[in-house]
Amino acid sequence: MNKTEEKEYSFSKKSEDRFKELEKKFPQRSSLVLWTLHLVQEDIGYISKPAIEYVAKRVGVSKSWVEGVCTFYSMYNKKPVGKYHLQVCHNVSCWLNGSDKLEETIKEKLNIEHGETTKDGLFTFTHVECLASCGTSPVVQVNNDYHEKMDPQKLEELIEKLKAEV
Amino acid sequence: MSSLEKRILLKDWGKNNCHTIEVYEEEGGYTALKKVLIDEKDKWTSENIIEEVKISGLRGRGGAGFPTGLKWSFIPKDTDKPKYLICNADEGEPGTFKDRVLLEDLPHGFIEGMIIAGIALGSKQGYIYLRGEFYKPWQRVEEAIKDAYNKGYLGDNILGTKHSFHLTTYRGAGAYICGEETALIESLEGKRGHPRLKPPFPAVEGLYKCPTVVNNVETYAAIPHIIINGGKWYANLGQGSEKSGGTKLFSISGHINKPGVYELPMGLPLIDIIEKVTGGIKGDKKLKAVIPGGSSTPILTAQEAKKAIMDYEGMAEAGTFLGSGAVIVLDETTDMVELAYRVAYFYDHESCGQCTPCREGTRWVKNILKRFKDRIGSADDLDTLCDFSEYMSNGATICPFGDAVKMAVIPIVKKFREEFEARIDKTEKVHEKISIGDR
Repeated sequence: MNKTEEKEYSFSKKSEDRFKELEKKFPQRSSLVLWTLHLVQEDIGYISKPAIEYVAKRVGVSKSWVEGVCTFYSMYNKKPVGKYHLQVCHNVSCWLNGSDKLEETIKEKLNIEHGETTKDGLFTFTHVECLASCGTSPVVQVNNDYHEKMDPQKLEELIEKLKAEV
Repeated sequence: MSSLEKRILLKDWGKNNCHTIEVYEEEGGYTALKKVLIDEKDKWTSENIIEEVKISGLRGRGGAGFPTGLKWSFIPKDTDKPKYLICNADEGEPGTFKDRVLLEDLPHGFIEGMIIAGIALGSKQGYIYLRGEFYKPWQRVEEAIKDAYNKGYLGDNILGTKHSFHLTTYRGAGAYICGEETALIESLEGKRGHPRLKPPFPAVEGLYKCPTVVNNVETYAAIPHIIINGGKWYANLGQGSEKSGGTKLFSISGHINKPGVYELPMGLPLIDIIEKVTGGIKGDKKLKAVIPGGSSTPILTAQEAKKAIMDYEGMAEAGTFLGSGAVIVLDETTDMVELAYRVAYFYDHESCGQCTPCREGTRWVKNILKRFKDRIGSADDLDTLCDFSEYMSNGATICPFGDAVKMAVIPIVKKFREEFEARIDKTEKVHEKISIGDR
C-alpha cells in the first residue's frame, strides 16, 4: 500500500448522521466498533490505518481493539478493493452446482487470481464461504448484491454489464 | 406444493408484498401480541407464556435443539439488571438458507415473536444480529422495525399498555463462529467473536454481563402461532417422536430437482422428503449420501438415509443430528475426497483461533485431506486423521467447533474410506510433510 492512499479519514456526512443515531442505541459504546467499521467501508471501500485511529477515537476504545476486530472479520477489506468485489461461494452446495466453473470464468476473463484486483481497479475476486444461497446455487455476491443460480455465461454477461456501467 | 408440506411459519410466503406490515396484519399478524397484551391479558402472565412454550415442545431451531421454554425459564426473575433478548440471524451453517426467507420475506413473524418473548421475560431491549453479508435482509428488517414502531407494536407503552420493548439491528462482518451464542454476544459488544467459557451461561451473565436469551429467527417466528393455537396444537403437528414437536423449516440443496426451503412436520422419513417434496435426484442418478443438518452433522450413506426419520430423535438414532435442518443431497457422481476437503477448508478458514487444538487441528485436517485431493496421501494418513481429531474435541476446547470438525469430516472418511485409499500414493516417493508455517 503506498503512502498516498493512506489519506486522513473522517466520516462522510451520511456516516456522521448514521453514527449519531447508532450512539443512542447501545448502552455500551464498544458495541459501535463493528457498525463504525461498516460505515468506514461504505465511505472509502476499505479500512485504512488512519480510519482505524479515527474509529478508536470516535468510539472510545483503543486502536489495537479496533485493529483486532478489523483483522478478525473477513468482510472488512484490509486493503483497497476494486469497484466491484466479485465473491464466489465455493462451499459444498455451490461446488455441487458448478461454482468451480465460475471461478475459472473470472480467472480467464479478468486475468486475476483469488485475492487480486484488475489493473484498472474495477474488479476484485475472492472465493468465500457459504452465503446462505444453497437452494439457488451457485451464487456470486457483487458488493452488497447476491446474483443467484449463476452459470459461466450469465457471469460473463454480468461482468460486461458492470464494465459498461463505468 | 407437495401434500407433505405444512405451512405455518411460511403460510404467507409468496403472497404479493408478504414482507410488509399491511399484508402481515391482513393475514392475522400481531393478533397474538394483542391477545397477550389486551384481549386475554389476565391469562397470559409471564409464567403462562413460558409454560405454553414448554408445552409446545419447541426446541432451538438454530441447530442445537435446546428446549426453548426451558431456556427462557433460566432467566432470573429477581434481578435489578436489564434483561436482553437476542435474535440470532447469523445464518452461516453451510447448507442453511431458511432464516434468509424469514428475514427477507416474512420479517414481522419473528419480530412479533420477539416482542412476546420480551414481555414474558421482562426484557425491554432486543437485538437482531444479522450476518454482514445479509444486506437486503437487513434492509427489510430495518423497514419492518420502523413500521412496527409506527403502528405501536414496538416502543414505549406498546398498544397503550405499560409494556415497552425496543428492537435494534446489528450487522456481523463475516465470521461463522458468531453463530455460537457466546461468540455472538462478544461480537455484539464490539469485540472479536471468541466464544466464552461456560458457565456462566448467558441466561445469568450474557450481553453486558446481564441476563440474556439468544434464540434463532425460526424459533421466535413460531411463538405467535403457539400463542394463537396453543402449545398442544403445535406439539401435535409433529409426526415422529413426542419430544420433537411442531414443524421445521428445511433448507434442501444439492443434486435434487427442486431445491429450496420447505416447511414440513417433524418426523417425516428423509427419503420421502427427497423423493416426494424435492422431486428426487436430478437426471436419474442414484443417491450416494446425505448431509442431513448442515455441514457439521455426520453424513449418512444412501442406505442409512433410506431408513432415517427427520426429527431430533430420529436423527440421533441414525447417529447424526437434525442441526439446522440443512439437507444436502449428494448423487453417485460426488467425489467424497473433494467433499471432505471442501468441508475441512471451511472449518480451517472459520476457526476463531482462540484454542490451540482447534486452531492448529483444523489446519492439519485440511492439509491431510489436501494430500488425498492431490493423490499423494500416505497409508497411515487416514489413521492419523481419525486419531488426532479426537484431541480437538470432547471438551478440549471452549466451544464445540472442534467437535463439529470431527463430526463433519471423520464420518466421510470412515464411510467412504475406499475412495480415500484409492488416492494413496503407493510409490511413497512424494510424501509431503505437514508444514507448520504454510497457513
